[in-house]
Amino acid sequence: MRILISCVLLVILSLGLVFALEQAPFGSNQIDNADKPGRFYLNQGMEKTGAANVVTSVVVTYRGFDTLGEVTILFIAAIGLGAVFHSRKKVKRYEKEKQSASLILQTGCRFLFPLIVLFGTYVFIHGHLSPGGGFQGGVIIASAFLLLFLGCEEKKIPMKSMNTVESLAGIIFVGIGLAGLYWGESFLENFLPRGMDYMLLSGGVIPIIYIAIGFKVGAELAGIVAGLIERNP
Amino acid sequence: MVAVLLIIVPLGLAFAMPLFNFVSKRIAAYLPIAAMVCNLILSILLLPSVMENTRIVILGGLPPPLGIHLVAGPLGVGLSGLISLVGLAVSIYAWGYIKQGAQDKYHALYLLLLSGATGAVLTGDLFNLFVFYEILCISSYALVAYLGDRNGVESAVKYLIQGSVGSGLILVGIAILYGMFGTLNMAQIAIHIDNVDSPALFLALVLLVTGFGVEAAIFPLNAWLPDAHSSAPSSISAILSGIAIKVGIYAVARVLFTIFGVAVVFQYVLLLGLATLLIGEICAFSQDNIKRMLAYSSVGQVGLIVFAMCIATPDGVGAGLLQLVSHALSKAVLFLGVGYLVARSGSMSLSSLNGIGKRMPVVCFACVVAAFSLVGLPPFVGFAGKFLIVRAALAGKSIFFTVLIGIVFLATVVEGAYFFRMVQTLYFKDAKRQIEYKKVPASASIPIMALVVFIVALGVYPDVLLPYLKSAAADLLNKAGYIKEVLG
Repeated sequence: MRILISCVLLVILSLGLVFALEQAPFGSNQIDNADKPGRFYLNQGMEKTGAANVVTSVVVTYRGFDTLGEVTILFIAAIGLGAVFHSRKKVKRYEKEKQSASLILQTGCRFLFPLIVLFGTYVFIHGHLSPGGGFQGGVIIASAFLLLFLGCEEKKIPMKSMNTVESLAGIIFVGIGLAGLYWGESFLENFLPRGMDYMLLSGGVIPIIYIAIGFKVGAELAGIVAGLIERNP
Repeated sequence: MVAVLLIIVPLGLAFAMPLFNFVSKRIAAYLPIAAMVCNLILSILLLPSVMENTRIVILGGLPPPLGIHLVAGPLGVGLSGLISLVGLAVSIYAWGYIKQGAQDKYHALYLLLLSGATGAVLTGDLFNLFVFYEILCISSYALVAYLGDRNGVESAVKYLIQGSVGSGLILVGIAILYGMFGTLNMAQIAIHIDNVDSPALFLALVLLVTGFGVEAAIFPLNAWLPDAHSSAPSSISAILSGIAIKVGIYAVARVLFTIFGVAVVFQYVLLLGLATLLIGEICAFSQDNIKRMLAYSSVGQVGLIVFAMCIATPDGVGAGLLQLVSHALSKAVLFLGVGYLVARSGSMSLSSLNGIGKRMPVVCFACVVAAFSLVGLPPFVGFAGKFLIVRAALAGKSIFFTVLIGIVFLATVVEGAYFFRMVQTLYFKDAKRQIEYKKVPASASIPIMALVVFIVALGVYPDVLLPYLKSAAADLLNKAGYIKEVLG
């Protein structure tokens, strides 16, 4: 009986959803208004911000405040995890006979680690020119640390310097925003010269912000991975 | 322009927390106090000027429809003032109360929670509202689990699951609106929304109200609240009950009044509010655990605030906002006070607090004042709030509202019953064993008494608040005015 009722409710609910979403405009321009922000970003994003990658210009300039919030959410996740782990008593487990990884695995990790970090760095430094950016680059760097954990378990991440990097990157982001308020007119305003289009030094503050985000995301995710691994030996 | 500092100061200090830690571990507890003093001063300085005309704070150097902007209106700045007042009291309290766990992380999370709350009430962009709402929610999940005990973690996980589902719904709702209107600016969506009649629009409304309703704890989305509020550290219970719920209510009201503005839905939400009120008060009555009782009482009060706001007249919304202020102050006092009662007696059950009033006179006196204010006795601020709600509801002279007000009175009687039972337990029952309790530190009694002073002062002179409430209510209800102020 219960199953029957829930099935009926499910059918009614899904019919309602289908009916409602049938006319939902996915990606089309149902309301035709010229002041639509999306149009503006596409047509004038490059001119206004000097960033060849329009996605980056939206993420860092137009919606830069959201990006600051998103970085903050990741920061909260990292320190929240730290706070909860700190208070919870460590569960005693039987110590498994640990066997260190084979020579091939260890050498492979050591060989790949700098390359992955280099690639991540490339991705976030060129965020305003090519696909990718701070978040993506940061995640790639964190994956290098994950590899280190998997391959050479005896390596420890220096948590103190990770925290410092995280904190400094956050302060740089906020500081650039405040500098925009001081030298320009609003918070997070692009107050530096635009530079030459399509070159590494273009887009004003965009590359600086993206580098800060890259470091911050990389340090935070690596810290989360380290925290989880220390909990479960 | 300065309004952005209200968000940035706590955020920046939280980011800098690990660096301050290298200098000294003891700085961490002072940072929230510093940030909240700064925010309180800024809000008070800003309030008179935004009363005259709303300031639009541009971010990223682009005018409203293109970039994100803050709306520093009477409602936003007023609420940020309330957040920093309660936040300041709780951070002074926490300075002496939080002695275990990773304290620097506690204070960083607390700062982030407050900057999320401030950002959510100030922003004028729908997606930005979501981002700050998430900052608020995620830091409160972590803080509920802060002590790391079984109850805390369990209720934090419950809260996390319900909150995340709610956030997911909000995101889908925002996506539908963005798909239809191509903008995330609340004022611009509000302009175009009247020209469209589509079931998808209704779906978006339902998704947004349901999603924000989880944090606002509107029935039937409040299952997480009693657990989370009762098993968190008391300073966090105070801030969750005092501030976090209010941000949820603000978000629901913003979506209902400013963005959608459809009168049909108000009646429905009004009935939901009434149901929340009744269920909250009845559940509170049947509790023996004092923190759970207070948590359920928060559910009831939320219902009353939602009920008052959905009368949807300027008087009704103003009364709802006064009740919101009253509940934020009183419930903060109650949770902060009960935190030490529970810590000294060692148990959360009401019967273990028998006769504790004679041994901890200051804290118990404050709790009694706050409880009387919540019930709505004069001369406390709760009386003014409830009186205005009744007056606003009966202004239309409709039989429907007269019946509803009858139900509200019934709920108030229940509320009175359990709060008087609490007073009876504290003062008029004899303790089983006589133990001298350690004195409550000044870091707790000073903020508690300061909030009590506010409760009494605003109760005696509610006129001070009325002009602010009036323009704040206009800020919410006057859709055309809001659009004009933002888009010019």
